[in-house]
Amino acid sequence: MKKLILMGLLTLSLTTYASEIEQLKEELKRQQEIIDQLHQKVKQLQGQQEIAEKAREKLKKLHQSPIDKILSNPFSQPKFLPDLSLILDFSYVSRNLTDKTYREVMIPGFNHGFFYSHEDHGHSSPYNAERGFNLNYGELYLTHAVDPYFDLVGIFHLSERGFEIEEGYFRTRGMPANLQIKGGKFYSKFGRLNQFHHHYWDFVDAPLVYRAAFGEHNLLEKGAQITWLAPTPFYLLLGVEAFQGDNEYNFNRNGFIVNTKKDGTGTDIEVPDTKKPNLYTFFVKPSFDIGRTSILWGLSYAEGKTRINHLEDQDSPHAFAGNTKIYGLDLTVRYTLDSYRHITWQSEYIQRDVKGTGFGYNNLDNLVRPNLQREQSGFYSQVVYKFAPRWRAGARYDLINKNDTFINGVNRNLPDNLYRYSAMIDFLPSEFSRIRIQYNYDKSLFLQDGTSFERKTNHEIILQFNIAIGAHGAHSF
Amino acid sequence: MRLIIGLMFLFFTVAKGEIKVVTTYPYIASITKEIVKEKGKVESLAEGIFDPHFVVPKPSLTIKLRDADLLVINGAGLEVGWLPPLLNQANNLKINPSSVGFLDLSNLVNLIDKPENTSRAYGDIHPEGNPHFHLNPNNIPILADAITQKLCRLDQYNCQYYKNNYSSFKERWDSKIKEWDVRMSPLRGKKFIQYHKLFDYFLLRYGLKSVGTLELLPGIPPNAKHVDSLIDLVRNEKVDRVLQDVYHPQKPANFISEKTGVRITILPHDVGAVPEAKDIYSLFDEIVKRFTQ
Repeated sequence: MKKLILMGLLTLSLTTYASEIEQLKEELKRQQEIIDQLHQKVKQLQGQQEIAEKAREKLKKLHQSPIDKILSNPFSQPKFLPDLSLILDFSYVSRNLTDKTYREVMIPGFNHGFFYSHEDHGHSSPYNAERGFNLNYGELYLTHAVDPYFDLVGIFHLSERGFEIEEGYFRTRGMPANLQIKGGKFYSKFGRLNQFHHHYWDFVDAPLVYRAAFGEHNLLEKGAQITWLAPTPFYLLLGVEAFQGDNEYNFNRNGFIVNTKKDGTGTDIEVPDTKKPNLYTFFVKPSFDIGRTSILWGLSYAEGKTRINHLEDQDSPHAFAGNTKIYGLDLTVRYTLDSYRHITWQSEYIQRDVKGTGFGYNNLDNLVRPNLQREQSGFYSQVVYKFAPRWRAGARYDLINKNDTFINGVNRNLPDNLYRYSAMIDFLPSEFSRIRIQYNYDKSLFLQDGTSFERKTNHEIILQFNIAIGAHGAHSF
Repeated sequence: MRLIIGLMFLFFTVAKGEIKVVTTYPYIASITKEIVKEKGKVESLAEGIFDPHFVVPKPSLTIKLRDADLLVINGAGLEVGWLPPLLNQANNLKINPSSVGFLDLSNLVNLIDKPENTSRAYGDIHPEGNPHFHLNPNNIPILADAITQKLCRLDQYNCQYYKNNYSSFKERWDSKIKEWDVRMSPLRGKKFIQYHKLFDYFLLRYGLKSVGTLELLPGIPPNAKHVDSLIDLVRNEKVDRVLQDVYHPQKPANFISEKTGVRITILPHDVGAVPEAKDIYSLFDEIVKRFTQ
């Protein structure tokens, strides 16, 4: 019995012991956890101490160094940098006309040669002027939204001889009633090609009729433009422009003084400046699609007063005062084969009517003022085929079909049927580079000898490199 | 006074008429149609059969933008080469990027392959990351939700209708995802090459590996040396197939297939790219079908 009680007590005490041990173990565990936590805290505190010390050291250094060594840039605005791009046009020219002849040839009834410039018109030599290498231009583009109301575009034409604002204009961003206003210096939307920059052209050079009628800069003017996208079910853009009149071939605004004697001993006659602004244009451009074919055509009209001052000429000083009307008709048809292949046919017809008074000197060096009238027209038609993702080929036919100049009603019988054939192939390694080779067979150039003209056939091959870097905006259709 | 109120009422009823939504790509138009249904007109500027990077900015597209109340774009640089001149010509202040009627979907999803440094020496890369995010089916409801919110903002009167349409779209889409997940699961881990990094989001979603592109660099077509290296790659890496989109030339893929026997699968990347891909559902149906065939 005793044994039994003893056993019972023992087991009881043992079990109590066991439970106590369990408790102790747990207690130990808890304490261990607390110790661990404390360890961590100490570590954290040590870390913080170190950071604090480092900071203190930094501060010390700052205090030690002069205050103006603290670098801070709180007003930097890199996110507002405008889109910026640079385009370089470089070429190699092979031409059968010598550079000397090329300087002298002209398109009769239109110009005195491509190098002829009587006013201060920056770059007076045309692109691809010399045999061999030509650095035609570097063009710097800057464009960005001004605020919710305007975009600003600046295009700077850099040549070896100078810096020029080629275009600089603002454009409204969200006028009501689908209106848009543009102001500054920009290419007129007259015709089809005129609005585009040289780097976007399908050929190295402008069509013959453009070069003849508008000169080397096309219709690039200071003024304002309003366009309206009509609420029609198809695309219909209407626009008017008013320009100051900078185009020296047609719409120059500056008057001149002409003397009744060639040697200047007579009396001065003043031809005043034109009204300013001098040039007004109007255009209508409808477009629609038929399946995969897009058709865009246009009617354009430009009218302004004309002042041509060639009185500084050594041999035959002359001048003109009158007015000019230019009519344009254009048609572009683009057929899309797939993502990378398309055919575009583009044609333009331009007619120019000039009326006014010519100023010149007769054999006795006396001033004569005949009635002068020009009726001229020409067109180009071109096909460009993008036949592979990186290749395009194109052909162009240029013709000046009418070239009548009447002096006091008598036709001077200037050469007409001036024409040119061009062919080009271009390779586009990427969207940002273009290598193009173009051949021109040009029957539009003449050498003048008194009143007679000698046609100089021009064969030329131009290898063009047009390369762009930076953020350059997409081009429109 | 009464006349003015009357005229205003007339104006608002006319203006309310129906909402006009223009999207840059057909897949966005299809999602939007699921939400808008008959309460508006939805049009896409681009066509699914063409390269989304090179859309011709033809004047007729300007007309669609001129009349739009809402413009939904893919974003991430995909439209940079063609949309800005159209927006400029459309003169529609409602859909300018700073206006309420403009939605850029790329802001709503995580873009992969965002390069830390960029130079055009590496081809025509998108600094924003890979813009073809719509081929991850999980992204579609996120886009649909954002479009719904925009529609609600512009057309509060029909908001509940749009929300209901979104709910039923989401429900149907989730069940479709389950179906596609089951069908795609056996392909996990397989290796592919593609012309352009067009299908990366889809491949990533289903645990498939893209081991190379036919183009040398983004936007730069392959040269002979690159094709040779791809032939080696196909052999060494045991590439399952070449994924060919509908708009790039198929010649390089055919050449690699001839040399190695690797299969070519033509995949639609957008609604309308192949006749079977009629809407956003059948686009994914067709992709899954062509993968599992």
